[in-house]
Amino acid sequence: MGLVEVATERILNSFSVFLFLTILLMAVSRRISTSVLLFSLQSAIIAAEAFATGFRERLFEAYVVAALIVIIKVIAIPRAFFGLVSHLNTSSDVKASTTPTQSVFIAAAMIYLSYAAVQSYGQSVNVAEDALAAPVALILTGAFLMVSRKKALMQMLGLLVLENGIFLAALTTIFGMPLVIEIGIFFDVLIGLLLMGVFAFRIRDTFDHLDVSKLRRLRG
Amino acid sequence: MILYTPLLIALLGACVVLAFRNPRIATRVALFIGGLQIASLAVIVWQVHEHGALRAGRYLRVDALSSFFLINIAFISGLVLVYASDYLLHAGEGRFHSPRWFYALVFLFLFTMISVCLSANLGLMWIMMEGTTLASALLVGFYNTKGAVEAGWKYLMVCTVGIAFALFGTIVLYLAAVKAGMNPAAALDWASLMEALPRISLDPHLVKLAFVFVIVGYGTKIGFVPMHSWLPDAHAEAPTPVSALLSAVLLNCAMYAVMRYDAIVSRAAGAAFPHTLLLIFGVMSMVVAGLLILVQRNLKRLMAYSSIEHMGIIAIGLGLGGPLGLFGALLHIFNHSVGKSLLFFSAGNIRENYGTLRMDSISGMARTLPRTSIALVVGSLAIVGLPPFSLFVSEFAILSEAFAQARYTVAVLFLVILSVVFGGFAYYLLQMLCGDASRNSPTKGKLLASEYSVMGIAAACLLYFGVRVPHILTVMIQDAMAVLR
Repeated sequence: MGLVEVATERILNSFSVFLFLTILLMAVSRRISTSVLLFSLQSAIIAAEAFATGFRERLFEAYVVAALIVIIKVIAIPRAFFGLVSHLNTSSDVKASTTPTQSVFIAAAMIYLSYAAVQSYGQSVNVAEDALAAPVALILTGAFLMVSRKKALMQMLGLLVLENGIFLAALTTIFGMPLVIEIGIFFDVLIGLLLMGVFAFRIRDTFDHLDVSKLRRLRG
Repeated sequence: MILYTPLLIALLGACVVLAFRNPRIATRVALFIGGLQIASLAVIVWQVHEHGALRAGRYLRVDALSSFFLINIAFISGLVLVYASDYLLHAGEGRFHSPRWFYALVFLFLFTMISVCLSANLGLMWIMMEGTTLASALLVGFYNTKGAVEAGWKYLMVCTVGIAFALFGTIVLYLAAVKAGMNPAAALDWASLMEALPRISLDPHLVKLAFVFVIVGYGTKIGFVPMHSWLPDAHAEAPTPVSALLSAVLLNCAMYAVMRYDAIVSRAAGAAFPHTLLLIFGVMSMVVAGLLILVQRNLKRLMAYSSIEHMGIIAIGLGLGGPLGLFGALLHIFNHSVGKSLLFFSAGNIRENYGTLRMDSISGMARTLPRTSIALVVGSLAIVGLPPFSLFVSEFAILSEAFAQARYTVAVLFLVILSVVFGGFAYYLLQMLCGDASRNSPTKGKLLASEYSVMGIAAACLLYFGVRVPHILTVMIQDAMAVLR
């Protein structure tokens, strides 16, 4: 076995652990910039995983997808986020409604929960349990970040984490969706973020803050 | 080729209309493009009616079911474009906030909804469904007021998260199909899946899991309780023509996606599971929305909750299945679109005249705005399901299916909620129509031709379809039902 093959196997065996690590770190991070960097790191891990899958399964499409992740999620989106933070002139605090200790416990509970959830499916789809639990944990954490962080920017980031999880689910179980569909999904994510950026500016301009938990004029 | 025409017209139309800064010219151009669009859709519908399903390339396909929804899109978008032509002239000039931007976004919105109906591939359908959220979010926030910004943000976040679950469901179905030995290129193609299903067997656990995620995901866009939180806000804060489009076209497109999945899951894992889920969501939406109708203050929010209730009725029809249930559900989709557009149009007139939609600050409308009042009364009587209007026919079909299958709980709940909703509508209508006319006098008072013509068409349609369902529509609905079998 050559060096590349060994590296591929190592990546495929250990990526879940690194992803769990990013999840726990995101739960404790108090600054938007730290969370964005962690998201970038998380996407890089997923890109490596896509690359390794492409190598092992001899899938050209997976290489394209890996390159797209690097360009869009590792570089472009984090840069855009930093741009937004500086343009919006907002404080760097994420405005969490749970303390870091509580958050990390909740994130850990979600990792445990995701293992419990995938237990019965591991056999039928022939994938290691770790690899199946990681996407579910990402989806749950993304949702948790969205409900527990009050800043509009953090909700966008939570959505991206959730989307990463769904992408990873497709990658680990069936080596990704067909390429055209994958590109369409990337396109949707980009446009969606663009629009959320537009709305973040509008929220700031009309309400003078970015705390979406205070948007509660419309009820009932 | 004819499948590409409506898509191209919508996309090019969105670009072209942006080039006209003058609101009046932009409006005329938009009407012209809309006319072309409707004509191209009509050609497709006619072709399908004559020759059966059509396919263009790997990703576009139209059959009787999609063509039924195309009729709905064409009819409602025509009404909305005409209604908007005068309604929108008061909009100012600003970024994303002028008639030309409005029409450009509306054409993009139509593009995505037509694409949903024309998609052969379930993955493409998801992409376009997410596209509908993106195209309409700026329309919901069009007025840029505090309420509109809040509603737009909520709409964008709730629907994007919801629809992410539908993507997960799509992936699970893809996984099940590939594991069962289907060619990955064809595994998301609806027609190939349906054709292959009797022969290959998909893992029933995975298929059911997929359906749960899909119904939660697309159900968010349909407005099923408890994922409905975005719907009243978006409908109430959007400009009135957009509210009509959201309620009468967008919700139906999401329902269309669920119907496609329902057909696949019914074939792969039996009809009991998806139909029970549809019944649960349907009854829940109907009951909760029906009760919430009683406590509304804002006319457009009242109508938004009524939309949730009617989506519940349609889901009950689909969940009951059977010839009458399915027929009733499809007919109800069309009837509800027409009725709800009429109601939103009259709400738009009320808002233009009184400057408010708060029902307790409007009174004596029957004397000051007689024509709008007639439209409001006709629309309300139709929407609560009274004969001789068309919604009575479809609701009656669904109800008789429920009794035929001896589902008495569903049937009784259905009847109770219908009477509760009738009470709510009657209470608020009487409050607005009668009483002291001098308390809050309207500013304009006159109906424009563009407004009363579309309201007249919608009202005539409701009445005529209530007396007899046209033969051609019956045939088209039966063709659509044959596709799902």
